[in-house]
Order: sequence, then structure tokens, then C-alpha cells
Amino acid sequence: MNITRCELHTEYLIDSILASEEDMKEFLFTLGCYPGERIILISRLASIYIINIKNARYSIDKDLAEAICLRGPTERPSTGLMGKVV
Amino acid sequence: MKIALAGNPNSGKTTLFNAITGKIEHVGNWPGVTVEKKEGLVKATLNPGSRKMTIVDLPGAYSMSPFTNEESITRDFVQKESPEVIINIVDATNLSRSLFFTSQLMELGIPVVVALNKSDLIQKKEILVDTDLLSEELGCPVISTVSTKSSNNGLGSLVEAVQEVSMKKRNQQPLRVKGAKANATKEEMEQIDRNRFALVNDIVARVERRKIDSSNHTFQDRMDKVVAHKWLGIPIFAAIIWLVFSFSQSWVGPWLADILVGWIDSFYGFVEGIMGDTVSPVLSSLLLDGIIGGVGAVVGFLPLIMVLFFMLALLEDSGYMARVALVMDRFFKKIGLSGKSIIPMIVSTGCAIPGIMATRTIKNERQRRTTAMLAPFMPCGAKLPIIALFASVFFGENAWVGTSMYFLAIVVIVLSGLIIRKITGDTSSSYFIMELPEYRFPSIKRAIVSMLSRAKAFIIKAGTIILICNAIVQILQTFNWQFQVVGQSAPDTSILASLATPLAWVFIPLGFGIWQFAAAAITGFIAKENVVGTLAVTFAVTNFIDIEELALVAGSTDVMTVFGIGAVAGLSYLVFNLFTPPCFAAIGSMNSEMESPKWLWGAIGFQLGMGYVLSFLVYQLGTLFTTGTVGAGFLGGLIAITAMVGYVVFLMNRNAGKVLNPAVEEVA
Repeated sequence: MNITRCELHTEYLIDSILASEEDMKEFLFTLGCYPGERIILISRLASIYIINIKNARYSIDKDLAEAICLRGPTERPSTGLMGKVV
Repeated sequence: MKIALAGNPNSGKTTLFNAITGKIEHVGNWPGVTVEKKEGLVKATLNPGSRKMTIVDLPGAYSMSPFTNEESITRDFVQKESPEVIINIVDATNLSRSLFFTSQLMELGIPVVVALNKSDLIQKKEILVDTDLLSEELGCPVISTVSTKSSNNGLGSLVEAVQEVSMKKRNQQPLRVKGAKANATKEEMEQIDRNRFALVNDIVARVERRKIDSSNHTFQDRMDKVVAHKWLGIPIFAAIIWLVFSFSQSWVGPWLADILVGWIDSFYGFVEGIMGDTVSPVLSSLLLDGIIGGVGAVVGFLPLIMVLFFMLALLEDSGYMARVALVMDRFFKKIGLSGKSIIPMIVSTGCAIPGIMATRTIKNERQRRTTAMLAPFMPCGAKLPIIALFASVFFGENAWVGTSMYFLAIVVIVLSGLIIRKITGDTSSSYFIMELPEYRFPSIKRAIVSMLSRAKAFIIKAGTIILICNAIVQILQTFNWQFQVVGQSAPDTSILASLATPLAWVFIPLGFGIWQFAAAAITGFIAKENVVGTLAVTFAVTNFIDIEELALVAGSTDVMTVFGIGAVAGLSYLVFNLFTPPCFAAIGSMNSEMESPKWLWGAIGFQLGMGYVLSFLVYQLGTLFTTGTVGAGFLGGLIAITAMVGYVVFLMNRNAGKVLNPAVEEVA
């Protein structure tokens, strides 16, 4: 599973990063986005995904969202959060 | 003593730099505003000692391993120029990422002082940070700062802490990252960095308490849902730009411009009165019509520009501009660029030079060069007087002229991007990632400061380059080649007229084959403000702004008669000036960012062609729709643009066969 198909507001663990550009992998690493770290999808906009890593928000495009593979979810989303899922 | 300012993007380095030095460097609420290092002296009020303290503001970086060009500036500076102290600005709301860079900086052997910035925001977000404990854990001073506040902002303590650590010769101990060593292999490096993050997580867990988890759906997200909406995003953007141009060109700007032009007119009268009849007519005309009239015509538009810059500064400060990048990303993807290319274009709305420099944040070379080539199409502050002049003379000062030029620019950029991608044959695309700044209520004070600093730059330019150009234009149109004064009856015999007339021929198919317009377009390459100044001087119109009525131009139809062209040709001239190459200074900037003569000359040729073709289409189609027949010089122009378009199509197809191997061809 990758970011394009995960639930909103649910914490996942990053499984692997399949970025075709090696330095993009390295860059993501410096943001704390690497296998084993936690990540949350906050919203889906037109062609953009907003994610939360280490309390910072990033906008990423679909290609990159597809490249970030996930494991999890680490916790069951509460019903309150599910209600917000659009 | 040299002090480096380093930290993550959008952590507020430049705001802090401005507050400490009293300088007015450009700030904005998005990552990547600063792309080169800037130096300044610490203000005397903050520096009680006798020792001079130079602060160097560096572009933001997430780590010591640079990802883009501007990040390497930061690394190179702290490694090679060995500053005495590093102030590491840490976004207090985001410790768990920021301290990664902090721990790397502490390994350089240079004393580090942490400025825990945005301390006001952590209170709002109900985050508790124990700064004493953090200081203890890191082994370096940690000072809470709020660089956006003008007093009680912690900057005094920050400067004191810097002086203190520089006195103490005892070196700070770097954090003990497991396995850290010099000359690590790539795999080892990765493991070390993982350990580094683990260490940071450990520290953060001890010093920070969060009540609100920032992953929750907040007001910010609801705003994003609206402004970056798939269908609403563009109309909202259009409405905002229309408002900006309305304030600047229809509502507030002209009203202020009236007052200013009243003063310029009085000054003109005053100087005229002083000189009386004792001064030679040539000299008095040079001073009055050339210098005061020409410069005055340009300066008269200053209030409009100031209002525009004020509004843009508010937008930049609010965090909205970063969302424009989200809205536009999907369109830019189609032309082989990404949302990253939007930021340089937005910056170019102020001035193309920083806009072109902002392309450094783009990693892909073709994308970077293409963006540097297209960003100058955005209507910059210097083009605003041209837009305002033609909008008011021909279209009753409507804000839609400015707004439509803005969006025409975007359309032209998208179209050009598509063409350039075809020509280069490079179909690669790259990922887009950008940290989202938080929305905040824009600061009126910051907007005023930004507006005044840009107004100052405009006035300096008007008093130097534009003044000299107007004086030269006035002299060239006063004399003929025998250095005799040209009479009122025969202005076409002047040096200027004879130089510009051959060029005017080229402009006949565009509807403005008149030497005055040709001359103004040429001086526009020196500075775009010159277009208005030169028109004022050559048509002997002292001011374009009425003082009796609250209207921009004294009897619009009068100026229209003086110009001797109609509305369609007026629009065509406006389009020509907006979409031909930018001023020389911006071309110089293109040259240094593109680092390829081939790209530079290709860009200039492309921009010239684009201006000519668009202008031709506007004039000929406009004339066809309004009068039923095509305009003058249609056939000649058609041949010219067919040749240009044909050549571009040839270049586009040339690569069609070798798309599979884009690396072979550097660039067409």
C-alpha cells in the first residue's frame, strides 16, 4: 500500500521508499521520512497529498505519494476521526 | 566577528536577520525565499561591545548534505568560511526535525547557539518546551526568540549568548551520535543518520509536551480544502489577483497618484518659474520635458506600484502563495515542470531578478533553465506603469486589463513550457515536495516595510537610470545629425527618429509602426519603466495622470489622439512590451542561472518571437473583429510569424525521433 490509497488521519509506518531518484530518497531521509518512521496523510487535494512527518506538513505530488509504501495502520482510527474522512 | 545564521527553510532566518541588523531583506511565508547569502552588521542597540559583529544570513537547509543548489551555499559557507559562531535557528513548533540539522552543525567544531524561534506559536499550539533542559541536553545555549516581534523578542539575549560563547574558548561537545565517525561509507552514513534521528527523538521526548497533535484536522486543512480545491482553486486565485489589481489600479492607487502628480506638476511649475527666460530653450526643455517630465511620468505611477507591492506582501505573508503552487502543480506537470516552478514566477511579480534567482531551488537542470526563461513573462513591478498607462488610456482604467495580463502570462508560460519540452526532447518529470507554511494573519507592519523598501528602490532607479535615459532621449530628439535643433514642425528629422524609424517598419504589422513607440520599446530593455518615460518625452506629454478628476489620465481620448493609435494597437503594444525579453539586468540574471550561452540566446530569441507573434495576433485578430478587415502590414507580418513558428516547429520535431535518449542532446 502507498499513500495514495491509505486512510486519512491514520498513523502508518513507512515500509519502503521506491523513489526512482536516489537523491530524493536521501532528501526525504533528512526530513525524517524513511522506513520505520511514522507518517500521516492529512488531506487529498486536486493532485496533491498533504502529509505529516515529524510534526511538519509537506505537500507532495501523486508520483511521490505512490513511491512511499506503507505498513500499518499502527493504531485503529477512532470513530471520531473516521467521521471526518471525506 | 563573523556569525552564520543557519536553519531549516521557513524557520524565520531572514526575519531574524532583518531584526538583528535593521536591514530589509525580502521575507515571505514559504520555504526558499532566501537563495543566496546576505551579510549585515548587528545593530548598535543590540551590540553594546566595541567589537563589530557581522551576521551572514544563509539559505535554509534541512541537513548538511545539500539537495539543491541553494542548500549547498549554506553547507559551503559553514564548512569553508569558518564563522566564529553559528546561530542555529530552530522552529520551536518542529523540534523533532530541526534538531537533526542542529546535531550536524554541532559536529563542525564551531560554537553553536540555538535560537528557538516562533516561540509565540508554541504557546498558541499548547506545546511546552523546556528550554533549560534542551540547552542541557544539547550542550549549547538555547534562547527563545520571536523574530516577528519588535520588542521583547529575545534578540538581545541571543546576541549576548553569541558573545559569551565566542569568549569562552572551550569547545562545545558534539552530541554523542552512535557510530559517528569521519569518512563513513554511504551505508555507515545512513545508519549514523538513523541513530542521529533516534537521538533527536529521545531529546524531544524529554523536553517537549504537546497537547494538540499537529496531525489533526485543523483550520489550516479546511482552508487548504477550499483554496487548493480542484475546481475552486483557480477561480479563487483569479479573484484574489483581480482584487490586487483593482486596489492598485482602480481604487486606491489612482487616488494617491493624483495627489503625487499634483506635487510633480507644482515642482515643474516651480522650476519653470525659477529659470524664467534666462535659460536657453534647449536646456530648459531638457530639464523640464526630458528630466522632470519623463521621470515624473514614471514616478507618477509610484503609488500604484506601492499599493500592488503592499497587497502582494500581505499575500506572501499569509501563506497563501505556497498554496498557489499546489493549485498550479497539475498544470505544470503537463508541461514537464512542477509546482516548484511556481514560486520563482510568483516572486517575478515583484521583480524578475529575484524570481530568476529563486529557480535555484529547482533540482532538475532543464526545469530550472526553463523556469528561468519563463519567469520574466510575469508582469513585474516595472511593467506595471505600462499596464496602468495603457489600461487607462484605452480601457478606462479597468482592473481587468492588469488581471488578464497576469493570467495571459500564465497561459503563455504553460504554452511555452510545452514547446520547450518538445524542443529539448526531455520528457523526464521529477517529484514535487514542498513544506507547507502555516497560514497566519498577515502583518500590516511587515507589508509596509516591504512596500517602502521596494518604493525606495523604484525611486532610486527613477533618479538614476531612468533620469539618464530620459535625458538622452530628449537630447537625441532635440538635435538632428548636424547637431542643429530640430524645429517643432519637423520632429521626424531628429537623431532619435532616424534611428527608430527603420525599426518602426518592423512594427507595422503589430499596429504601432510609429518611431516613438519603437524608441520606447528599445529603451524598455534598459528598464521597463523607460517605456512610459520615453513615450512621455517623445510625445511631449508631461503627465499621464489627471489632477482635476480622480482619473488616471488627463482626458484619455486626448492622449489617445496624441498617440495616434487605436485601442487594439494599444493592447498589442502592451502585449509586446510584456512578453518580449525582460530588462538587461534580468537577462544578466538569466545568464548566470542558466550557465549556458545556448540556453540564454535561445531564451532571448524565444522571448522576442513570443512577443512579436502574440502582438501580431492581438492586433490583426482584434482589427479583424472590430473592423472586419485585417490591419496594416498583415501579409508581411504573416510571413514573418510563419517563419518563426515554422522554425520552432522544426526544432520541436527534430527531437521526435530521439526521445528515447534525451541525455545525448543537452539542449536544442
